[in-house]
Amino acid sequence: MSKPLLQSGKPVLQLENLSKTYTLGKRNVPALSNLNLTVNAGEFVAIMGPSGSGKTTLLNVIGCIDKPTKGKVLLDGINASELPENQLYKIRRDKMGFVFQTFNLLPYLNARENVELPMEGRGKSKSEQRKRASELLAMVGLSGREEHRPQRLSAGEQQRVAIARALANNPAIILADEPTGNLDSQNKQGIIKLLANLNLTQGTTIIMVTHDSQAARNTERMLLLKDGKIVKEMQGLHLNKKNQTCPHCGSRIQTNDDTCPTCKKPIYASDDLFSS
Amino acid sequence: MGIVSRAVRNISRRKIRALLVIIALGFSLAIMISIPAGVLANQKTANTVASNLSNIISQTGASINQTLTQIDCSLTPSFSGFGFGNGSIPSGGSGSGHSFTFGGGSTSGGSGFTPGQFGGGTVGGYFGGGAIGGGQASPMNESLYTDINSISGVAAVEPILQASEGNNVTQNLNFNGYTRTITTLDVTYTIEGVPLTASLVDNYPILPTNITAGSNLQVGDSGVVLLSENNSAYFGAGVGDSVTILGQSFTVVGIYSPSSVADTQTLYMNLSDAQALTNNTGYITSLTVFAQNSGVVSSVASAIRTMHPELTVTTAQDRESALSTEESLYTTELASANASDSTTNSTAIEEIVVVVLATSLIVLFVMLYTVKERTKEIGTLKAIGFSNSTVMSQFMLEGILLSMIAGVVGIAIGSIAAPTLASVLLPSGVSGTTRFGGLAVATLTPELVLLGFGVAILLGTLGSLYPAWRAAKIRPAEAMRYE
Repeated sequence: MSKPLLQSGKPVLQLENLSKTYTLGKRNVPALSNLNLTVNAGEFVAIMGPSGSGKTTLLNVIGCIDKPTKGKVLLDGINASELPENQLYKIRRDKMGFVFQTFNLLPYLNARENVELPMEGRGKSKSEQRKRASELLAMVGLSGREEHRPQRLSAGEQQRVAIARALANNPAIILADEPTGNLDSQNKQGIIKLLANLNLTQGTTIIMVTHDSQAARNTERMLLLKDGKIVKEMQGLHLNKKNQTCPHCGSRIQTNDDTCPTCKKPIYASDDLFSS
Repeated sequence: MGIVSRAVRNISRRKIRALLVIIALGFSLAIMISIPAGVLANQKTANTVASNLSNIISQTGASINQTLTQIDCSLTPSFSGFGFGNGSIPSGGSGSGHSFTFGGGSTSGGSGFTPGQFGGGTVGGYFGGGAIGGGQASPMNESLYTDINSISGVAAVEPILQASEGNNVTQNLNFNGYTRTITTLDVTYTIEGVPLTASLVDNYPILPTNITAGSNLQVGDSGVVLLSENNSAYFGAGVGDSVTILGQSFTVVGIYSPSSVADTQTLYMNLSDAQALTNNTGYITSLTVFAQNSGVVSSVASAIRTMHPELTVTTAQDRESALSTEESLYTTELASANASDSTTNSTAIEEIVVVVLATSLIVLFVMLYTVKERTKEIGTLKAIGFSNSTVMSQFMLEGILLSMIAGVVGIAIGSIAAPTLASVLLPSGVSGTTRFGGLAVATLTPELVLLGFGVAILLGTLGSLYPAWRAAKIRPAEAMRYE
């Protein structure tokens, strides 16, 4: 598996004085106001907040599917807020990976073909696309299910396919909009774990909008949004895992598994989502 | 997985819908190509009728000039009726030879002009005796020959026996609100027995002159026939071959090229052979009287009429006046053919406009519906990095592909149903085809097939343009919220 090009720690996303106002009839509704945020490569960030606080707008602006009214969006050093649509789609294709609440897989394509979609138009051969899609599906735990269409996959499996699709072009940022919103608790845990693992082992930068405080706690940085502003920032459990050593054998742990890879003993504290 | 295979999958995803749309589009396209096919057929018919008419007029005119001294005599056939609605039993030209033999019918119902020349003519009374042209004219006793031969001014008399062989065909004809069921003889060949005597053969035009193979009949020939080119094809026989006519074998001595339409199916043999063959020994169907010169023609004709009132007697003068009547009828016929042509054309244009609009609208609405239905998919594709132009191409391709399939279906429907569709959709075509032949059936030419396919692609493109553009303009952020 190829490593992300970005070095961990460098800013991959910078939002400067970002404002977004929607016009509803004659009324201007501010969705984001003067928001500043920097996300470094390799971070796992959760954005929380009540309904209407601007979470999804923020994610859409970051993902270049919505334009800010004011301010700058710097993605990997590129000012995306000034790019025209015929450039933006390339940013979305090459720098972003979208994961949706409703998975949004194409129902008439099988898992592998869904994963291949973002690779189209990037000059890769069919066999390369196929190989990469199969690797990604293996990584999200769907080996052997490549040829299944979405209707033959469970909700959790569909979201795994969507995550594999988001990773197809090795994006700088994975943007996940309520990725666990449509899943039962077991699948929810599985998906959060998968995202956390990707972040740990692949260094994938993840920005996740969520209502689910448990899911949010398992990231490393939680941002609370209210009225289009970041009103609170907290550390999550994931941060500890990045730097943790095994309480039993003392070896450094770079995994999100329940047990230490060296001594095979359980690692996490009882408040962890995955140990329950 | 390219856009082509995605388009194919999307169409096949909703099979029933795709099928219905393809059938609807296919029918539109079938209509679209059947209409020009019908128009072309109509034009072809009009042209054929026109050229047949002008051929008939010129040939008849020429024949009249060559036969100024000829007087045709025949018995009024018992079955002929006159006046409108009768005059059935025409039989494709069997009644005439090169010598204007009459099947009868000059005394009433019109001029009775050389009916055989016109290949019968179903509306007999209307055209005056045309109907009686062929048929098996009533046989008359050969002894008439001596009576007439004795009239002063007569140079020679040629007794003729004519008989046609064919199948009976029954059909309903509509004319001026009347319907008549008539039975026509679909002639396969007509036997003309002419006396092969030196005095006639050497001095009078009783045999065809344009021999294309072999030789002409000779004085005293028996057991041999002279075939027309059509006969030769019909029997599949050439010079020297033997042909079986009414169960008897004859040797082909030659083949001639007919000088008039009426002659095309006539074969010539010795009169006595013909009489024996048709069980008519001692009988003839007509007489051709050759006057000594054109000056005595009318006195000879009136002498014959006085002597044998039962005979229908026609001179070149009679025929000429009939010709002018016919000519004016032809003019009417031509004008009606042209009028029918232009009516057909304007109807065709209106219908094609409607069908083109309907087809484009079907594509437009189907594709708009598809785009609306797949808003979320489109939003997703754009969010994961599809460009506007890729999305647009995707939907254009689907519309075009659908139309291409419909094009093939349309061509298939059209190739079967073009004549039906054309006759249902276009005003009834050129009249006079029953009488003058040349009825062309609407058929799909390779050009029309290509045109149909091209139009399908064109309309698919036009109809998909706006929906695909709408798809490309969908904003991913909005599309995500769309359920």
